This record gives sequence, C-alpha cells and structure tokens, in this order.
Amino acid sequence: MSEFPAAGADLVVDCTGLACPLPVVKTAQAIKTLAQGQVLELIATDPGVEPDMRAWTSRTGNDLLGIDKRADAFHILIRRMK
Amino acid sequence: MWADDSETKVLYVQTHGVAEPGRSATPFFLAASAAAMEFEVMIYFTMYGPTLLRKDVVDKIGPKGDQGQPLRYFIEQATDLGVRLLVCQPSLDLNDLRLEDLIDGVEMIGGAAFNNLAVSADAVISF
Repeated sequence: MSEFPAAGADLVVDCTGLACPLPVVKTAQAIKTLAQGQVLELIATDPGVEPDMRAWTSRTGNDLLGIDKRADAFHILIRRMK
Repeated sequence: MWADDSETKVLYVQTHGVAEPGRSATPFFLAASAAAMEFEVMIYFTMYGPTLLRKDVVDKIGPKGDQGQPLRYFIEQATDLGVRLLVCQPSLDLNDLRLEDLIDGVEMIGGAAFNNLAVSADAVISF
C-alpha cells in the first residue's frame, strides 16, 4: 500500500520524534478541528503508532484509510467520521 | 460520579509517590491515551500517590528525577483531555498533606465513592 491521493490530507499532524502518548493525544485534538469527511495525515516515528492508531480509530469511530511505513516515518491517513 | 453511563470508563489507581519517580508518570500517559480514545477517565491517588500532586513537587520532579519533563507536563496532558484526579483524606493524612497543598482541581472522595467508581468502571488499573 502506498499511493495516497496526492492531496489527500486536509491537515498534517507531524509527531516526528514524539513518543507515546503524544501521537494519539495530538491526533485526538487535531481531528476535532476538521469537518466530518475531512482527512488528517499523521506523521509519526513512535514504533508503537500503528497498533495505537488502529485501536484509536476503532474506538472513536473514525476511519483509518491507510498506514504507509516509509523510510522516515509512518504516514497515517484518518478520515473524520463523526 | 461517572458523568455518562454510556461511555467506556477507566479508573486508574496510583499508590506510588515522590520516592519512586520512575513510577510517577505512566498512569498519566495511559490516562491521557484513554481520554484521547473518548473514554471517561479518573486517577485515584492513594497511599503515597497524593505526594505526586503537591504544588511544590510538580515542577521539580518527573519520571527521570530532575531531568526531562516535570510532572506538571504529564499531569496537564491528562487533565487537558478531561482526566479527573481524586484523593481521599486518609491518604492525605498519611503524607501530612492538606488539599490546599495540592495542585488545583483535585477532587476529594472517600472509600465508598471509590468502590462505587470501581464496580461501575469498565476497567480498574492499579499501579
């Protein structure tokens, strides 16, 4: 999985270098600034971010569009659903 | 005391205090994560736990002692997301503390309230 839409994200949250729980906390805060249907891109280097964001999206009812593990970081696309 | 019966509710219990800085921050991390998941979250400080909430402590120590972020940073990360902090009088007495010695916003409960919170929570996690 790789090809995110070129202009897929309405908001980028850069959590490079930040450890748990900050990627989750900052994502939770940032997604509230989006309208329903808009997409947030989280960039994170915390090695636990993939299971964390799967858990967070499933619990909060937001849509995990994809997780792209690139050389520099995880890039995670989430659509605000409610 | 839980605000919403329909929410998932997690109660953390912190029994360790300033003598063990390495055990001080994790309950705040986990509580912040839980609140970010839209759970209703409280942390109950008992035994030595209330010493972590002292006004004259929160800016001085963190999980790595006097290095790195102080406790206030981790506490506010949690409380900014709605996590509530609870203490009980016997634990304050044990540590020769008064509620006024603690940071603002800490709520006083007793044993019956604690037990009621515990049996009505979805999870109780004790440190």
